[in-house]
Amino acid sequence: MEILDKLINVALIAATLRTTAPILLVALGGSFTTKAGIFNIGLEGQMLVGAFFAVLGSIWTGSALAGVACGVAAALVFALVFAVLVVSFKANEVVVGLALNILAGGMTISLMKAIFGTRGSIVGHGIVGLPKVQLPGARDLLGSWAPLISGFTPLVYAAFIAVPLLVVCYNRTRLGLYIRVVGEKPEAAEALGISITRVRYIASLLCGLLAGLAGAHLSLGYITMFTENMSSGRGFMAVAILIFSNGDPLKVLAGCLLFGFADAFSLRLQTFGYPSYLVLTVPYVVALIALFALSYRARPRIIAETLESMRKLLSVDKNTEAGGKNPQ
Amino acid sequence: MRDHLRAASGQVIAIGVALLMGAIIILMVGESPLHVFMTLLRGAFGDQEKIAGTLLQTTPILICGVAACIGLRGGMFNVGIEGQLFLGGFAAAWVGFAMPLPAGIHTLAALALAVVAGAAWVAIPAYFRARYNTNEVVSTILSNYVAVLLTSYFTIFLFKRPGGWSETPPILATSYLPEIFTFSRLNWGLVIGLVLAVGAALVFRYTKWGYGVTMVGSAPKFAEYGGVNVKRQGFLVLLLSGAVGGLAGGVETLGVHHRFMEGFAPGFGFDGLIAALLANGSPVATIFTALFFGALRNGSLLLEVDTSASREIITVIQALIILSVSAQVLVRKRGDSQAGERRWKF
Repeated sequence: MEILDKLINVALIAATLRTTAPILLVALGGSFTTKAGIFNIGLEGQMLVGAFFAVLGSIWTGSALAGVACGVAAALVFALVFAVLVVSFKANEVVVGLALNILAGGMTISLMKAIFGTRGSIVGHGIVGLPKVQLPGARDLLGSWAPLISGFTPLVYAAFIAVPLLVVCYNRTRLGLYIRVVGEKPEAAEALGISITRVRYIASLLCGLLAGLAGAHLSLGYITMFTENMSSGRGFMAVAILIFSNGDPLKVLAGCLLFGFADAFSLRLQTFGYPSYLVLTVPYVVALIALFALSYRARPRIIAETLESMRKLLSVDKNTEAGGKNPQ
Repeated sequence: MRDHLRAASGQVIAIGVALLMGAIIILMVGESPLHVFMTLLRGAFGDQEKIAGTLLQTTPILICGVAACIGLRGGMFNVGIEGQLFLGGFAAAWVGFAMPLPAGIHTLAALALAVVAGAAWVAIPAYFRARYNTNEVVSTILSNYVAVLLTSYFTIFLFKRPGGWSETPPILATSYLPEIFTFSRLNWGLVIGLVLAVGAALVFRYTKWGYGVTMVGSAPKFAEYGGVNVKRQGFLVLLLSGAVGGLAGGVETLGVHHRFMEGFAPGFGFDGLIAALLANGSPVATIFTALFFGALRNGSLLLEVDTSASREIITVIQALIILSVSAQVLVRKRGDSQAGERRWKF
């Protein structure tokens, strides 16, 4: 019981929120492409270049914000290449995504060697990390529970705020509706005169934006360094989450919290002397189990949702037709 | 034949475009592209030892490439070859150091366990892919991370060589794959790879089962109408692909390292997949693409010594090749793809 107390406490929950943030950001990015009907396995690479260029930008300019901007810009370039090949050239998305991941890994290591002359990692060199935001009044309000809402970097807040924003986007805005229609029923989108190409480009770039933020959080958030392949499969876990959540922001959040917890918990187990190699497998095993357990249920649901949105679309069609005919 | 030539010339053009883009990146990291390419060439084919070294690097890429081809033909992306390679490598090493057997039989037993380990490791993703359509790309990628960590755990916590550094005890000489020449570690693994590639090509071309697999991969509905059990076939294809991936690890352990060590064969699984993609899923063409990537890999060793560029520059070139091939395949077939439905044709 005492061990359990040591394992699970406020610090663990706060750590969970911290480790959830990067995977949540990248998964929310992937939510755009998933909803637009693109299977984006390239999230991992976008995140990795985001992390690398965030560090680079931070060193060059001495400002964390500029670093984040650099990371996002690099991830956007990767997202753009992905979109050009997959959307315009209709290339196989798995092939392009995997190739971009490999490119990201090789490129960051090559550039690291060229710029810093080192292998492995970039530490120091004047990297400026993101500041921690202390919410005023949090300590008075919550006392010892204050670390749950205060003291995170801005990107952690951004990640969690993005969830309701995405819900609103998908349910209440034109762009969100277009993205969903393009993903679920491209023929209907075409018939309605929506440009599939344009919507998919926008979705890919939004995805790159969030993946870049996720990468910047990895390298400028709680540790200010870049190491080879530091995204270590988080992008792939995000894809696993996207598969069984079908890109719905709230389900994505639930999935990401699960992995954030697994991540934080495994870090904690390590400090208790469990063999690190086994402990490090925990997040991946959790991802696999969740993927297998939930994929069985996901299929009928996706079909049902597509049918429902088709019905909605058809009724929209009828309304507009009715609207068009009435004046006659 | 003309189709084959046209396809091959397309790949060559794509490689040219990729090399050009690679040259730009090499300029960006502050090296001369010509110097880098010449160093790569010298490092890969400079003398007979270098050539043997290239073939040594080609071996695991070729076997992993055949594993990937089997999957691709059946419409399955086995991205988990890396993990199967690690487990196969460890399994072979375990038989090698823990089970004294007569020479010959020992090698075969070790390879057999490597095959079983590779197949077993992919069995769960394969089952869920076949039964519930669980995306095999993600499940096999994630299982890679588990496999690498798991074999590291075995090596360091359970079977560490006393006084050694994150490696198992050496395997017994009875389990070695014999070397072909005296001046290189090049071994019969290469022959195994070549036989596998040709064998796979023959199976796909001349057997009913191979035809069924190709049909499942390229036109699952047609295959189903034709009486092929698509789910069972998909499961078997992934299992077979994983088995060959495990074999690659066994060959690497028994032929080259003679022990299992942490991170013993990084990236061979991915190189194999890329080689198979570049070969458009043809096992025989994979022999050539694997040789190409083996040469790049071996050349990159000299690159690290002779220039300031990092050897990962070849990873960049490989990725660029696949990207330009993917674009070019599609330029050729641009018209026949519908919105929302895109496939790489094999």
